[in-house]
Amino acid sequence: MFLRPNLYTSYEAETHIFPTWTKKVLAALSIAVLFLMPFSLPVINQLPLIRFLGDSSWLRVMSTAFIFAIAALGLNILTGLAGQISLGHAFFMGVGAYTGAVVGGQETASVLGWGFPIWVWLPAAGIVAAAVGLIIAPVAVRLRGLYLAIVTLGLVFIGIHMSNTSWGRRIAGDPGLGRDFPNYDVRIWREEEPLVSLSTASQWLWFDVTAGQKRFLFLAALMVVFAVVAKNIARSRTGRALQAIRDRDIAAEVMGVNEFRYKLIAFGISSFFAGVAGALYAGLAGKMPATQFSLFLSIEFIAILLIGGIGTVTGVLMGTFFVELSPKMVEEFTRWLSQRTDEAGAIGIFADLLLSSGPGDFGPISIATQTPGWPLNVFDWNIVLYGVLIIVFLIFEPLGLFGIWIKFRNYWKRWPFSY
Amino acid sequence: MTVTDTAAATASPGTSTVTVASLARDWAERAPGQVAMREKQFGIWRERTWHDVWTEVDEAANALLALGVEVGDRVSIHAEDRPEWIILDLATVAVRGITVGLYPTNPTAEVEYTLADSGTVIHLAEDEEQVDKVLEIDRTRVPAVRTVIFVEPRGLVGATDDRLMLWDNFLELGRTYKQQHPDAVAQRMAAAQPDDVMTLVYTSGTTGPPKGAMLTNANAAFCIDIVVNSEDRVPGGPPTHKDLIVTYLPLCHVAERIFSTWTHVSTGAVLNFAESIEVVNANLREVQPTIFFAVPRIWEKLHAAALIKSSDASRFKRAVLGVGLALGRRIGRIKVAHGGNHTLESRILYAIGWVIVFRAMRERLGLRRCRYAGSGAAPIAPEVLEFFIGLGVPVYELYGMTENSAIATANFVGRMKLGTVGEPHPGIGFRIDEETGEIQTRHAGVFAGYWGKPDKTAETMTDDGWLRTGDVGEWVDGTHVRIVDRIKDIIITAGGKNISPSEIENSLKTSPYIREAMVIGDGRPFLSALIGIEFDTVGNWALRRGIPYTTYRDLSEKEEVVELIEGAVRETNEKFARVENVRKFRLIPKELDHEDGELTATQKLKRSSMMKMFSELVDSMYR
Repeated sequence: MFLRPNLYTSYEAETHIFPTWTKKVLAALSIAVLFLMPFSLPVINQLPLIRFLGDSSWLRVMSTAFIFAIAALGLNILTGLAGQISLGHAFFMGVGAYTGAVVGGQETASVLGWGFPIWVWLPAAGIVAAAVGLIIAPVAVRLRGLYLAIVTLGLVFIGIHMSNTSWGRRIAGDPGLGRDFPNYDVRIWREEEPLVSLSTASQWLWFDVTAGQKRFLFLAALMVVFAVVAKNIARSRTGRALQAIRDRDIAAEVMGVNEFRYKLIAFGISSFFAGVAGALYAGLAGKMPATQFSLFLSIEFIAILLIGGIGTVTGVLMGTFFVELSPKMVEEFTRWLSQRTDEAGAIGIFADLLLSSGPGDFGPISIATQTPGWPLNVFDWNIVLYGVLIIVFLIFEPLGLFGIWIKFRNYWKRWPFSY
Repeated sequence: MTVTDTAAATASPGTSTVTVASLARDWAERAPGQVAMREKQFGIWRERTWHDVWTEVDEAANALLALGVEVGDRVSIHAEDRPEWIILDLATVAVRGITVGLYPTNPTAEVEYTLADSGTVIHLAEDEEQVDKVLEIDRTRVPAVRTVIFVEPRGLVGATDDRLMLWDNFLELGRTYKQQHPDAVAQRMAAAQPDDVMTLVYTSGTTGPPKGAMLTNANAAFCIDIVVNSEDRVPGGPPTHKDLIVTYLPLCHVAERIFSTWTHVSTGAVLNFAESIEVVNANLREVQPTIFFAVPRIWEKLHAAALIKSSDASRFKRAVLGVGLALGRRIGRIKVAHGGNHTLESRILYAIGWVIVFRAMRERLGLRRCRYAGSGAAPIAPEVLEFFIGLGVPVYELYGMTENSAIATANFVGRMKLGTVGEPHPGIGFRIDEETGEIQTRHAGVFAGYWGKPDKTAETMTDDGWLRTGDVGEWVDGTHVRIVDRIKDIIITAGGKNISPSEIENSLKTSPYIREAMVIGDGRPFLSALIGIEFDTVGNWALRRGIPYTTYRDLSEKEEVVELIEGAVRETNEKFARVENVRKFRLIPKELDHEDGELTATQKLKRSSMMKMFSELVDSMYR
């Protein structure tokens, strides 16, 4: 209701994604900024934090983040909404990746590939992953908490093991090098020239766009679509049923929620998201071994959920970008510092204290090329940072970045009182 | 649409008397799709359009005819505020019956009294609680009651009393009747006369048993003309269909009836039914009404809540609030000094305050969009009004009583005087008796008498036909009226000094820690007071000081609490002359309650029963 945001005259109004005009405008603006980011437009490229995106290495990091966001949104439906902890998310991504590879990839002497276009292999990746998820779900549905985590953990090892079998190598290629994955080119069928090429630079309307920019736009659009789908699932009957199961499964069943059925649905949807994300991830990389879909990848998604804020779409997006972009930020920051070690003044001293250029130099961050052990290099520090962040968030802010936002928002929402 | 069409076709144009029912029917014809009412159910404000409302009124009216309601028969309603209240009220008026409202808090004995006194034939009891009260009454004591309608079937499935009828079945009965007699209701409506009694409003009865004041169609029409549609009473013009009202005070009281039903049917303002008086704050925040009427008790509660929440806020917020409230006080004083108008200074201060505190605080109070707020039905302390005026809520005090359809005085836009109840409405007969100081009125809104009590009616009228209000008033600057007190309540101390207790009591009640205060001193050497603490706020205060307590009584008896109240009493004493100082006070050991007979249904103190109940406490002060 205009001017009266809390006067709900229907349930539809109450479950609206953007209930107020302010939110609608903000959402439209952020989507506009998202799509203008990769271009060096006059105004946009002056904005701090966004300016750097003209650079292709950032485009790639952002593109990866979009893919991870899709996967994380999927896990959020299973873990955040339905409360089922799964460490098998990497496995489902793998299933999606290799389905995509087989359906859309080129056949060679050693690997399978049917060469179908993207509009076949990308949905197929999701559907096959969802199907696998549904096959496994009945076992998982009977388990809760830690036991479920252990069982799903097993999936990851089974997956990597299977890729190593003789028929697994027909799909996954050489265990060390991996196989080629299909790129994002859009074809009508199996013809030579793609209808829209996302792997070469060309001119769109009046703009010159690079392959990186094209992929960025494509993945950004896909992420927006999946985010809207995830949000809609969360506010639908299904989403409410899943949340009821999460909060108290017995109470949910008493209310008439079919626990078995909804857990199955959660597994299915979650695996679908994972499958699509897996195929996109492999497609972006071009070539990767099956060991990429390891336990570490699964844990990364748990970290995304924990840091971002479990159970909310906004939180998951915040978590994804935080986790995916911060290593690059730390790297850039270190490079920026290393250029200033010789400068006089506070920054120079600070940089000198922090960085170590070789044996004998003092500083916790190593910028020398080969330095095993202490001082750690940037990549090691990133992993440490990552662990520390998970611990800090678990202890101090279990609701993640989103929780911090909620606290901030409530502080002002309750203004001028405290409750 | 067929329903309204038939009604319109058969109503004899021009000649029929304007009643609240005909006004509602006109809205249904003029704007059938416009939202008329909202009622919160399962978290959603369900809307009823004027078409929906009139359809239901028409069905209910037909059902009343089917149940044999004749002209002048009484239909009583015992329910919290809900659409069915107003629908049955309008339906009763449509068939020229008389609506009798009961307070939801009325205990069985009072229900019995009202039903017997009015001779009700149809009674609506909304749920099991109210139905039980009727069923407890011996049938022979209320022989006239033929049908008891209930709205909520929960707990009543399988009830065997032959008088019971579910609301849905009642409407079904109306639909069937309408098929057989399509024009019956329209004919009744067309035959309505201006001096038809439309409702009995039972006075709260601070002394003696309640009396049913008869209000006629002409009274209501006059009230709508003079009060509701008064040109300069509401800033920005009289209410329209764009206004939102929250209905939460008992509809059987004349004030809520005017502010809800009568305003609703005459201006089309949207009624939003609060879920209950307990959650009215939350409802206000959702609805953000544009027009809001509250009794002093509600204003005091909102005021106390704002102060308590302020003191509970975090340090930074408290600092900002301190600045904001100081600005508010200053703005309040400036505006009060200028008849409620802004000056340049107050505008600038308000702009600052609006950004830092007022906007948010008004939003939290549910008064952000409020363009008119009224206070009436009991005296209020000026400090409380000043607080809200400072926040930018335009509160105006009004004065009136059931017997004159609440038409006496009001504060008008730009001519407000704090501490007065405003100027007499233009064109009405209004005088202050020179000898006794009693306020008397004479106009088309004066009631038709008390139901079945011609002697009492005669008592309230002067020989020359003026209504005696029983309130002592005085002129302020020759234009505005200040109410001193009820004649009966004025205290004459042993020293022979006349003192108005309500002023002192209201001043005491501005403290957020005091809920009730009764000043005593008639024929005594000095003034004393019985004070009831506000359990929530004093409890909160005790909690923050680490004072453990269990019950209301326990809390009242704490020495620290007595000291706290003593501070509030001292503050009040500073504002009054020495003879008017409260020398001693005692805290009441229980929360006052309607059912225990200490308060009337409108939460007014019943002084005589208070004196009886707490005689020992009173005596202990004068020993």
